[in-house]
Amino acid sequence: MKLTMNKTGASLEAKVAERLDTTTAPQFEKELSAQLEGVTELILDFAELSYVSSAGLRVLLSTQKVMNKQGKMILRHVNENIMEVFEITGFVDILTIEE
Amino acid sequence: MKETPRQGIARSYQKWLALLVLLCFMAATVFLWVTQTQLSEKSAVDLMRLNISDVRQDISDASDENLLTLTHQIAAEVTSLATVNSSMLKVLSYRFDVAEINLIDETGIIIATTHDDFLNYDMASGTQSAEFLVLLDGETEFAQSYQPTSHDPTLYRKYGGVALESGGFLQVGYDFQRYRRDVNSVLRGVTRNRHVGEGGCIIIADSNWNIVSDRHGNEWEQLSITGLQIDPALTPPNHCFQSTVYGVDSYCMYIEAEGYYAVAVMPQHEAVLSRNVSVGTTLLVELVVFAALFVLVYILTKRLIVNNLEKINGSLSQISSGNLEAVVDVRTHREFSTLSDDINATVDTLKRYISDAEARIDAELEFARTIQYSSLPSVFPPFPSRRDFDIWAGMYTAKEVGGDFYDFYLLNEETLAFLVADVSGKGIPAAMFMMSAKSVLKSLAESGMPIEEVFIQANEKLCEGNDTGMFLTAWMGFLNTTTGHLRFVNAGHNPPVIRRNNEDFTYLKSRSGLPLAGMEGVRYRPHELQLAPGDTIFLYTDGVTESSNIQEAFYGEGRLLDVLNENACSGAEALCGAVKTDLDAFVGDAEQFDDITLLSVTFHGKPAPLELVLDATVENIETVTDFVTAQLEEAGCPMRVQMQLCVAIDELFGNIARYAYPNGIGQATVQLLLSKNPGMAEITFIDQGIPFNPLTLAEPDTTLSAEERSIGGLGIHLVKKTMDDVIYVYREDRNILTIRKRF
Repeated sequence: MKLTMNKTGASLEAKVAERLDTTTAPQFEKELSAQLEGVTELILDFAELSYVSSAGLRVLLSTQKVMNKQGKMILRHVNENIMEVFEITGFVDILTIEE
Repeated sequence: MKETPRQGIARSYQKWLALLVLLCFMAATVFLWVTQTQLSEKSAVDLMRLNISDVRQDISDASDENLLTLTHQIAAEVTSLATVNSSMLKVLSYRFDVAEINLIDETGIIIATTHDDFLNYDMASGTQSAEFLVLLDGETEFAQSYQPTSHDPTLYRKYGGVALESGGFLQVGYDFQRYRRDVNSVLRGVTRNRHVGEGGCIIIADSNWNIVSDRHGNEWEQLSITGLQIDPALTPPNHCFQSTVYGVDSYCMYIEAEGYYAVAVMPQHEAVLSRNVSVGTTLLVELVVFAALFVLVYILTKRLIVNNLEKINGSLSQISSGNLEAVVDVRTHREFSTLSDDINATVDTLKRYISDAEARIDAELEFARTIQYSSLPSVFPPFPSRRDFDIWAGMYTAKEVGGDFYDFYLLNEETLAFLVADVSGKGIPAAMFMMSAKSVLKSLAESGMPIEEVFIQANEKLCEGNDTGMFLTAWMGFLNTTTGHLRFVNAGHNPPVIRRNNEDFTYLKSRSGLPLAGMEGVRYRPHELQLAPGDTIFLYTDGVTESSNIQEAFYGEGRLLDVLNENACSGAEALCGAVKTDLDAFVGDAEQFDDITLLSVTFHGKPAPLELVLDATVENIETVTDFVTAQLEEAGCPMRVQMQLCVAIDELFGNIARYAYPNGIGQATVQLLLSKNPGMAEITFIDQGIPFNPLTLAEPDTTLSAEERSIGGLGIHLVKKTMDDVIYVYREDRNILTIRKRF
């Protein structure tokens, strides 16, 4: 997992690459939460991400809950594998997914 | 069917005709007999009457002649006298020994007489005397029959008269004694040469029935000596009566003549001779005529009716024996023509009904066949993800719905049950029995009992209420698709053909049990066989080996073996196809009488999986993922499937790493099986941790909002949704979880 973050004022854009699974999810959560202070708009760019497992979903859910309080979270460039996972698990209704 | 009368029309006709002819014949005979008898009697009577009247004439002539001669002599004496008076006549009467002499003048008055009281008697005053007046009318002589006199009716006399030249006439009468004396001698000769017919005779008797003249020489005897007894009070004269005369049965008749009785006698046998001849001749002719009539009528009946009926019956029996194309065609007479047309029309109607019924039955049978087919596994390959065995089966029913069937199903991940069976009989009952047998076998097999127990219990169940006495032969095997161990039971079925270790096919002979549903309480023995990868077993029904061609030769077990060996290396489907093709070529245009069922199983076994044994830690997930994706890449697995498998590995291996060994670090084994065509990946995770079946986890509610959601169970849910198969078993202290994904 590679995480590249670019913070502009209260907006944080995070590019996630490779995979978000049992191994990488704790690191992703740790790095992201460190930057979330005062962020009202979180943009997660999944263009480089190949798949998400349930461990990744857990982090996305907890981040979504935080952002629900601070502002909003937007997912971009979600590939069809990940989209399928979101659909199967009902996450499409929780997350805000943009093209 | 009603009892057929033994007698034919011709015989019946013959009988009644013979009876009728006999009756006619008898009636004619009786009629002829009666009329001929009457005729012969009449002719006998006529003959007797003729003879008897001749005799009467003879008697009369004899007495007349005698008296007139005497009268002429007296008249000559009288004429010679100058004067005649009564006294002179008395003298003459003494001289000539006559009873009475009367001289009558031209006026018919007696002018002189031997009896004084007759003087001046007018001859015209009495009918008897008046007859003599003809002598005054020109007659010269006249004799009167012997009869009572007019003057005194108690006095019988015979009178004769002669006309005198001087006018008037002389009448002479003599009494009985004188008359007898004169006439008897004359009559003696009368009967001598007289015959009535051939053997008949005339007998003359006097008024006291003393015979006067008789051919047999019995004169002066009483008539009774001849056998005749005549009482004029009972037997009137001039009538025929029967009596025995001189010992011969005869017709008799008598008359009175001049104080005599003349009796005619005619033997009966003579009288009836003509009748007998005539009746005999006529009978002979009638016999000939009636016989000819009988034969003629019989032949006509036979030719016109019986022969035609036999023709019609011939056609009808053809029709009733099933040849509905037979036509009745008897056109000799209008009636037979109509009958033929009617029968043909009836048969046509029947044919139409039959073809309608056939069409309906065909449709229903087609429907039944469809149901039957649809109950058999018919999607091939049936287990596309299984590489460890290859199975194919086919059933080709004969025209009628039959009782063959095949079946196969997985009892568990590694046990394939397969069978071929053949129900006795054909048609809907066999098909229904087949359905019942099939479901009984399947439900028992799926309950997990050993194969021999399946057959024992199926036999009991199928025997229950099997009133129709149907049974089925069956061969069933349980194949362990991992080890190649085969257990099978044979219930009276044809031995299958087996190919082992790349050698030739041979028949797998084994001790067979009785057919199923044949008898209650039958035990079945299991047989066992160890198959090696590549071994093939081929099951079939007797419809294969007993198929016959037009020459009625059987296909036979030898041919089956040959065609199997020629195609030994083919897959299951190709092997069955080759057998069917060869069978079709052999049978040619001959009709298929029995169902044909084929089933082929080839055991491949599992290839050795790629295996990875490593510590169950979260850090090792990546090792597993890298190991699997490397293989998937090589197998040409699409990226999307690779990603799905990676998620699944992350979830499943992650679970093992986190929960299987709570007291430290244990080991986990990951096995990977890959096939390319069709693409399939099978990954098995094995650990020796605490037993846990992740498939029993509750499904997460995927509709809740972010705040309400918990994350538990999502991983397994994801796996189940994205994989084709997820199978968990706990065996030998191991959790074994297998996932399969086709691509």
